[in-house]
Order: sequence, then C-alpha cells, then structure tokens
Amino acid sequence: MSHGHVVVIGGGGTGAAIIHDLIQRGFTATLVERGELTSGTTGRHHGQLHSGARYAVGDREIARECMEEVRILQAIAPQALEMNYGLFVALTDEDVAFAPEFIQACREATIPVREIPLDQAFRMEPHLNPEIKMALQVPDGTIDAWRLPLHFFATARAAGADIRTFTEVVGIHSRAGAVTGVRVLNHATQEESDIAADLVVSATGAWAEKVAALAGIHIPVTPAPGTMVAVKKRLNNMVVSHLHPAGDGDIIVPQRGLSIIGSTQWKTDDPDTVEVPRADIDYLTRRATELMPVFGETPFHAAWSASRPLAGASSNVEDGRKLSRDFIAIDHGRSDGVKGFISIIGGKATVLRAMGEKTVDLICDLVGVQEPCRTAETPLLQHRAFYNPHLVTKGAAS
Amino acid sequence: MSDSPQNDSRHNDQPQEFQTLSGEPVRMVRFRIARPQREEQWGQYVVPVKGHTTLVDALEWIKSNIDLTLMFRHSCHHGSCGTCGMIVNNKQALACTTRVMDLVEEAEAAGEDRKSFAIEVRPLQTMDHLGDLAVDPARLFRDFPVDADYLRPSEANKGSEVPGEITGYQRFENCIECGLCVSSCPVVTMRDFMGPAGLAAYNREVTKHPERSGELLPRVDSDRGVWGCDRHLACSQVCPTGVYPAKHIVQLQKKIKKTKQESGQE
Repeated sequence: MSHGHVVVIGGGGTGAAIIHDLIQRGFTATLVERGELTSGTTGRHHGQLHSGARYAVGDREIARECMEEVRILQAIAPQALEMNYGLFVALTDEDVAFAPEFIQACREATIPVREIPLDQAFRMEPHLNPEIKMALQVPDGTIDAWRLPLHFFATARAAGADIRTFTEVVGIHSRAGAVTGVRVLNHATQEESDIAADLVVSATGAWAEKVAALAGIHIPVTPAPGTMVAVKKRLNNMVVSHLHPAGDGDIIVPQRGLSIIGSTQWKTDDPDTVEVPRADIDYLTRRATELMPVFGETPFHAAWSASRPLAGASSNVEDGRKLSRDFIAIDHGRSDGVKGFISIIGGKATVLRAMGEKTVDLICDLVGVQEPCRTAETPLLQHRAFYNPHLVTKGAAS
Repeated sequence: MSDSPQNDSRHNDQPQEFQTLSGEPVRMVRFRIARPQREEQWGQYVVPVKGHTTLVDALEWIKSNIDLTLMFRHSCHHGSCGTCGMIVNNKQALACTTRVMDLVEEAEAAGEDRKSFAIEVRPLQTMDHLGDLAVDPARLFRDFPVDADYLRPSEANKGSEVPGEITGYQRFENCIECGLCVSSCPVVTMRDFMGPAGLAAYNREVTKHPERSGELLPRVDSDRGVWGCDRHLACSQVCPTGVYPAKHIVQLQKKIKKTKQESGQE
C-alpha cells in the first residue's frame, strides 16, 4: 500500500534523509546518483557537527534547529559522531566584547554555553594559542561525512528503498504539465532506461540548476566552493572555533587522527571543475596557526574543495517554500507548471534529518497524505549494514 | 557516452611542462586507466597536474573534461571515507591521498622514459567489479562484525581534561574500511578467507568489548578465519591508516588459544 513512487535525484546527505523518511512514511522510492554516494558536496564537507553556536548571533532559528538535531543524531546515529564538545576562543579584545551577544544568542537558541576558565581551557586543549583571552564551551562535535549519510541509506535500503549509484539522470519526463518519470543512463552498461515516478525530487544542491534544466526549468544556483586543509595529526579533541562573527578559516575540526581547518568560499560557474587554489592552502594554514600555533608545524595531509549551492534570485526561487532559514524547496508545479517536481537547495549536514522531514512533509501535502514523521525516534542502522542488508537484525529497520 | 575516451591526440602539440599565469608549474601527465567493461579495455588520458594535484583530482578532471561516465568511487578527498581504493602502478593506494607528482618523481627516479611514461590505474581486485575503477565493497563487509563499535577513546593529548558532560574524548576508528588490505592479500585471491579487514575488526571489537568474546571468537576460529592467514603481511604494508591488520590476526589467534586453554579444550 504505497502512497506513490518517488524518484530522488542525488545521493548526498539530503537525498539520504529524504529517501529514508519517504520509506518510513509508506512511499516507495528509487534514488539515483550519477557517481558514488556522497561524491558531490556532502562527503567533502568539513565534518563539523554544529551545536548551532556559530549561527546563533546571525539566526536563532537555524541555531536552535542545529541544537535539536545534534540531540536527535546522538540518539539515532551515535556511531557516526565524535561527540567531544567545542571551544570558542577569543583572540582579541574585540572578540571578548562580542562574547555577551554570542552567549545571549546561544541561550535563546537553547544551546548550553558556558565560560571555561583559561587555565582549564588549556588543560582541555593544550595546543590552544597561549594568548587567547576567553574560552566558551558548546556542544559541538564531529560527523563522519560518509558514514552518517550511509546510516540513512542503510536503513532505507533494508526497508526496501532502491538505491542506484553510477546512474545519471539524462531526462525528466512529463505529460500534461505533470512529471511522469526520469530517463537514466547507467554508466556501467552505457544503456539508457526509464523510471516511472509520481513525484521527482531533485536533491542535487549545487547541481540543481543543471538538473532542473532537464525539465526545461531555470533555477539560478551559483556553486560556491570552499577549501579545507587537514594536517596529519590530531591536535585537538574538541572543535576549536574563533569567537567572532562567522568568517573564513575560523574552525578546526578534529577527526580520527587529523585536524582540519576550514573553510573559504568563492563563486564559480561549474560545480564539476573545482580546483583547490594554492593560495587557500596558505591562507587557511595561517588562520589555523592563530588558533593553535602548532598547526603550522604539523605535516600537511590533504587539501580539498566542495561546491556548496547558493540559490540566486528568480521568481521560482523567491516562490520557493523556505523550509528552514537556510534551505528551500521549490514546488515546480506552482512556480513553473511542472507538477510533481521539487528541487531542494541548501541546508547543512547537521540538519540533514530535519531537511528530510520537511521535504517529505511537503510531499505529503502535495499528494494529500497524512502520515507523521517518525525519523527523530527511529534509530538508524550502522553504515556497514548498507552493504549487508541480509545480515541486518530483523525489526531494526522497520 | 563519448565515442573516443582517449584524449592523447589533442595534447600532442602542447608543451609537456608550463607555468600558469600565477607562476604555478604544470606538468602534462599521461594516465592509463583500466576500463574492463569497455571494448577498448583501457583509456589513455593526458591531464594537467600541479604540485598538490592528487590522483582523485586527476580522475575528476578526466570525468568533467573528457568522459562524464568514467566510473570511480570517491567521497571525502582526505583519506577518511575509504571509498577511493585503487591499484596504482601495481600497488594498492587511496586515490585521494596519492599525489600525482610523487608518482612522476618515482618513475623518473626509476629511469622511466618521460615521454612514454604513464600512470597505470586499475580497480581493486577480489571485489565485485562495477565498472572502470569502481568496485562493490560488499565482499569486504560480508565478513565484518556488522554492528562493531566504530568509536574508540582518543589518544590525542593524553591526560587532557574532559568536559564534564562526557566521560572521555572519543574518535572514529583508524580503519576506514577501504579494502586495500583485502585486495592485496594473497590468501584472499587463492581461497575462501575472511580477509584482514574483517578479522582486524573482530579483534578490535573483542578488545573493546570482552563480554562479546564468547559470541564473536567462534566466528573467526576456522580455516577461513584466523587460521587462514599465511603471514604475507601485505595487508599491513598497504594499510593507509596504520591499522596493521596482521597484528590483529595474531592477537585474535592468541585470544582463541587462551580461551580454549582456560576452558580445558586442546
């Protein structure tokens, strides 16, 4: 008794959460991804589990949502998180003067924040710049950028989702102003085939403009890549951030045996041809060294860039329902005359589950189905289960 | 989709080495990439490479500039996800932490001819092939304890103070489940063997959770388990994150022997 068949385009964090939620609420679904899962933006993200503190001054709502999702992810996917908290450190008097506003904003967003005496901060993170003037603790952490989405994919797959990698959408079919399916190219066989659908969701982020164009729709999306640099040693256990209005190169996220500084941001035309600018590596290393001087002395491990999407101005983007302050869903039935086609743009890894929930809420509205979301209370299968659906303990996924 | 996935000819007139306007040296490097499911079997590509260009960057360049259907797995680009294992010049490696210029310098030091030299890239062996360089890692996970704990205490800054809200700093395991060890293991290619990655995972799990020994040790106490290891040590040599699977296999063997002695068997 399916509510309908949905094709989700894009195997990133957004697609992962959407297909999991769709299956939970009684839809059948196929997810197609032109490469490996999370090979676009999601897998290359900085890896920070955001308490929301970084966003609190700018937007309480985004911050509150982050905090809520941190609590939920700890319950449903603890194995995909290093939950070690974070320190915001003040480097200048100006930073210290910013603290009261920051603390107030965090409290309003329900983020537990407290000042840590400097001697204690150095006992927590001995590599901190000895010149820091203040340290505030918040519940930040680290995400495994591959394995967290895989938790969602694994759970969806075990419950019947059809997930196809190396399968590229080359056409979107519609009849009488409504979407009817997609045409896909299987990269392995080089053969094209059709997948019928009642609804098509493009969860392709920086690629959303290219995908919408397949349906003859224009949505302006500017790919905005950012660079990250990792050194070959774990220098910190807590996420270390610069206490100031959010900017470039002001967060060092630890992960496994690495410490990672990020990020920068620039704009480009093509999300596929992103190269790491040499100057970014030098700039980020310099910024990291301000927070933890030893960073600059530590052997280089890797530098990479990820294309995030910036949605531009146009009538359909403005019409787009802002499902949260930082991500939008465009119902192309309303804005472009193609019913059953939705584009999702934006969001962040920490709130992927919430993005799935809100997108599927919208889908339920569109098809007139009343089915509550249960993903916040449903523990996810571990990442390895994605490859072993037959080994999964019965009951865990349903 | 392209009829000719080779781009050799269009670069024949280009200099082999040049500088960008900003002064960064660029070198044109030739790649020979296995495409076993294709008629041509191999693709030849010449790619502009800078000092920090990695193999995965080079593959992405080929994908976006020459053939959008080139198949390879990749995700994090910094050696944490474990998806981009390949065989590079006959050695298992992660594409994302392999610097192309290191391979070029290696070849030059070995006296390779600069003009004809090509970096050869093949998919990992012993796993089901999806296409080009992409494999299905299901074989790797088949013999994993599927629910094994992926977290462990962090060793960084030993003795440092911990926030009151948690009992200790935690981190993800070193093992990124990339399968390089399984692909390099001579035993896996010869006979049915659980393989180094899975056995190492079993050892980590019983070390962290001794209470699971009774359930887990019997699963590896067999010829396809710990007793199948011939100690070639290839696994420990190719491991990109210092897991040393061979060491874990020996530890598991000891744990099994000890358990049997204690229970009076053997």
